[in-house]
Amino acid sequence: MHILIVEDEPVIRQEMKLLLENALYQATALEEFEDVAAEVLDIAPDLVLLDVNLPGEAGFDVCAKIRSASDVPIIFVTSRTDSMDELTGLMKGGDDYITKPFQAPILLAHIAAVLKRTVREEKELLRIAHKDVELDVARGCLIFRGQDVELTKNELKILHYLFLNKGKIVSRRNLIDYLWDNQVFIDDNTLSVNMTRIRAKLEQAGVHEFITTKRGLGYFI
Amino acid sequence: MNEREMCAAGRLHPGEFLKDKIPVFLLQASGMMALCVFLWLTGYGKGGCVLILICRGLAAVVWTLAEYRNRKQYFSQMGQVLDKVDQRFLLGELMPPSFRLEDRMYREMIRKSNKSVIERIRRMEGEQQEYREYIESWVHEIKAPITSIALMCENDRNEGPQRADDERIRRIALENQKVENAVDMVLYYARSDEVYKDYAIRETDLQAVAEEAVLKNKYYLIQNQMQVEVDCAPGTVYTDGKWILFILNQLILNSAQYRARENPHIWITAEKYGHGVRLAVKDNGAGIQKEELPRIFEKGFTGTNGRCQNDKATGMGLYLCRKLCGKLGIGIRAESEYGRGAEVILDFPVSSFVQGDTVKERDI
Repeated sequence: MHILIVEDEPVIRQEMKLLLENALYQATALEEFEDVAAEVLDIAPDLVLLDVNLPGEAGFDVCAKIRSASDVPIIFVTSRTDSMDELTGLMKGGDDYITKPFQAPILLAHIAAVLKRTVREEKELLRIAHKDVELDVARGCLIFRGQDVELTKNELKILHYLFLNKGKIVSRRNLIDYLWDNQVFIDDNTLSVNMTRIRAKLEQAGVHEFITTKRGLGYFI
Repeated sequence: MNEREMCAAGRLHPGEFLKDKIPVFLLQASGMMALCVFLWLTGYGKGGCVLILICRGLAAVVWTLAEYRNRKQYFSQMGQVLDKVDQRFLLGELMPPSFRLEDRMYREMIRKSNKSVIERIRRMEGEQQEYREYIESWVHEIKAPITSIALMCENDRNEGPQRADDERIRRIALENQKVENAVDMVLYYARSDEVYKDYAIRETDLQAVAEEAVLKNKYYLIQNQMQVEVDCAPGTVYTDGKWILFILNQLILNSAQYRARENPHIWITAEKYGHGVRLAVKDNGAGIQKEELPRIFEKGFTGTNGRCQNDKATGMGLYLCRKLCGKLGIGIRAESEYGRGAEVILDFPVSSFVQGDTVKERDI
């Protein structure tokens, strides 16, 4: 997925690019704002993040110009929180509208939602395997030697993060951050409780020493 | 009846009117007496004198009655203008015309004095408007650096699983979030009087808004070992998500501020009631004393909690919440058991207009 960033503030531009790249998107940022619409059409990205206050032409007009030639999804990113602006943005053909300062996960969620709506996305990796254990994200369970281990929502999210970072040490703090970004708002103690439950479930299924605790550092699979 | 009441109502009281005329009556009466005495002395007949007195008296009574009627009408017209016009300082322009010199002079003076009042009001309104616009543009300006800092923190944190300065970055992100909250407060305060200019009512998913509000305060809540449960399943309402986000943000911050020492918890739940949806933000924190409960939504009110635990309490958060709720037609109230927790409840009415299936789309 190729995302084009049209933002005149250099710091935000650079950080947004980094954020998108970390989220495994291909990101390009415009540096010149002479003829934005033409540039956008030239680059032909899968999605455009468009600032409303641009040095030359206003973002709304740029959007209208792009719309006259292309159906590329456009998300407005702006620090103006006026409802009229939002309405104007949607009327000019924008697909979504997000206000600064935004939460990084929320920006990513908006991007994912718009892409899902407009582009047929390739299926997310829904089954991850590590050692002999397979995590089925869609069904919410672990599979070990053909045997299913049912997981709760919290347990699934915890294991998902560990599986995504297999071979790396995952600190408790980062794990909690990830869980909060995914609508599981738990504290340190509850994480411990969940960890214990996961371990018990694994033991019961016959998987031993699957999750290692690195004292003072975090977890490791 | 005192003078002020009499004037305010614009009613002309007959007694007061007569009292006003006493000098004229006295002058008339003494003049006539003198005339009669003079005529009588010059040998005029007694009957003739009485006839003159009666005619003159009658003329005076008729004249006074006519004047009373005329004046009464004039002032009642003015009183009506005062009652009906919402901007009473416009009286000068709206005074009924009168042929009397006095009335015209007063009118001219009132006009002049009103004009200066109006000019002054306009100037102040202009200044206030300019100030508000400046605040808004300032808020938008400051949001760019806040966004940059937030993104930098997010990216730095993502770079590696273990970094020595990880904790520092989190703390910067947390402080940055505090700046954002304070800036938001300024913006919404500046706008709270003109909500009507800035809202777009649409189908809003309370679950998503609540989750965003929690996420906004992620670092603060995690740092304080808090747990949050969000369960707003039947939570689709027609309102402006942006304002609700601000309100929920304030409520979450309050709950976090006065959290319990052990296992601090926040529950955000929604349920259907009657013709609407009821959203509750509940915590197991310090709670609110019973005597203080009715006052917590007042501007500048900082209860015992506010004063003891947090000397920075401004008493603005809940005040703004209630104000915004009022403008959005949402009921807000608080319940609490002191020492065991507090609960703030928002009642979203669903009007019959949007209950049917006709309004399905999210846009207005």
